Amino acid sequence: MNPLELTLGIMTAVGGFVDISQLVFSGQAGSKFGYVLISAFAISTIGIMVFSEMCGRVAAVAHQPVFSLMRHRLGLKLGLFTLIFSFLSTLITCAAEIGGLGMILNHLTGAPYAVMCIASTLVLMASMWVLPFKWIERTYGLLGLFMVVFVVAVVAIHPPWPKVIGGFVPQVPQGLSTKEMLSFSYFVVAILSAVMFPYEAYFYSSGGIEEGWGAKDLLTNRVTSIVGMGLGTLLSIAIVALAAQLFAPANVAPQIPGSVALQAAIPFGKPGLLLALLGMLFAVAGAAVETCMANAYSVSQFFGWEWGRHSKPWDAPRFTIAWIAVMLVALLIVLTGVEVMSLVEYSIVFSIVVLPLSYFPLMLLANDKSYMGQYANKWLAKGLGWLFFGFVTIAAIAAIPLYLLTSGG
Amino acid sequence: MDPFGHLKIVSQLLDVPIIDKDERSCGIVDDIELGGSAGKEMRVEALLVGPGAYKGRMPKWMYWLVRKIAGNRMVRVPAKAVVEIGSVVKLNVCGEDLGLHQAEDKAAGWIPRWGAM
Repeated sequence: MNPLELTLGIMTAVGGFVDISQLVFSGQAGSKFGYVLISAFAISTIGIMVFSEMCGRVAAVAHQPVFSLMRHRLGLKLGLFTLIFSFLSTLITCAAEIGGLGMILNHLTGAPYAVMCIASTLVLMASMWVLPFKWIERTYGLLGLFMVVFVVAVVAIHPPWPKVIGGFVPQVPQGLSTKEMLSFSYFVVAILSAVMFPYEAYFYSSGGIEEGWGAKDLLTNRVTSIVGMGLGTLLSIAIVALAAQLFAPANVAPQIPGSVALQAAIPFGKPGLLLALLGMLFAVAGAAVETCMANAYSVSQFFGWEWGRHSKPWDAPRFTIAWIAVMLVALLIVLTGVEVMSLVEYSIVFSIVVLPLSYFPLMLLANDKSYMGQYANKWLAKGLGWLFFGFVTIAAIAAIPLYLLTSGG
Repeated sequence: MDPFGHLKIVSQLLDVPIIDKDERSCGIVDDIELGGSAGKEMRVEALLVGPGAYKGRMPKWMYWLVRKIAGNRMVRVPAKAVVEIGSVVKLNVCGEDLGLHQAEDKAAGWIPRWGAM
């Protein structure tokens, strides 16, 4: 197996986990609740590993991406409802990523935020136009690995390792008031939503088809989903641990990406800050591309259009128009002046509502022996799949009341 | 082989993607036209593709909205053009010959043909 084949998983995970919402959100989770929420990241990661492996397997064996399955299994009306909700949540997420890019470039260059948003959108669109899928995933996947500086920073600050490891055990912190308890619950639901963002599944399954996966690639799929998603979680957990160690004692709750980047500056000074900002820049750029393409994939697959960036943009014209339109509308949303963190909160709440509808048809098809033959879900994938389907359904029911009760945490 | 032999129409045919003999995506099976009458064998006469085929499948207000956004174009794909039904419906003809691909070809006119690797 060529190690470069892992880049689809790395881009999906780095762009999916360590996008602008996770950057700030992980920092806030660590500063508010210490190491306790590490377990929420770890458990959700098992969920996204299970579902992304399933997505990739279905793509490789049945050659069907998630949105085609959704239309077929949910039918036109419910499928359309899911399409509209997931499109809106992914569009808002894409806008948040562009806003995040503007903020990071503003930190790096000092140039005005709006100008940086416009410039970064144009660069992203140019890269999506020029580069074929394989190079898009390699460029953003590999450059996002600058984020590893956060993992090195955790080691460098010598955190209390027993507490970090203890964070992997699910627990509810003692002595919380009702308000704090609601806020803790909101964080748990939001982490589950952010780690299992539906656009990751749309992107990953479509990416598998873009790469021409077949049954021979099932090992690549399994390794990619476990290593890629595992890496994404490692980066998020590193940010939680850094925030718990560096920000919590000082009662600092990071609200912008720049505060999160400071976590690498404390042990490594200016080079650490620069590496952190570059890593964040490429990870967030990857997330912007991923969300934009995920929306274009969804619409194209739902209506049966030609799709994919393995072919030239003019060979899949409606798909091309769709991703250009998504990127431009996302930029317009940012230019209205809406706060990036508000966009992040909306996208998390919207996403959790469509999560069960995204993963249910996938489970049905992956269980179906008439489509999947010998590659249908076995007991482990089936058991874990239904377990996490239960989790996301409960989270979907709880998300909006918790959001309203806690004003977004 | 008759691809329509014994078929569960909703679970095996409705909302399944269609590809033509050149492997190009040609839309989705949006509705099905059945032939036959009471007491006689029912047969699939054609697949209906396009937003016009949504009419009987959604509430009126929703169809009104779809029609305003996407129009009411509908293409009829005769059953004899279907060669295989599985995770996709495969046709034994080019999509263009049946009137499919028109919107795709129209959109292609707006896309410049340069710069992409």
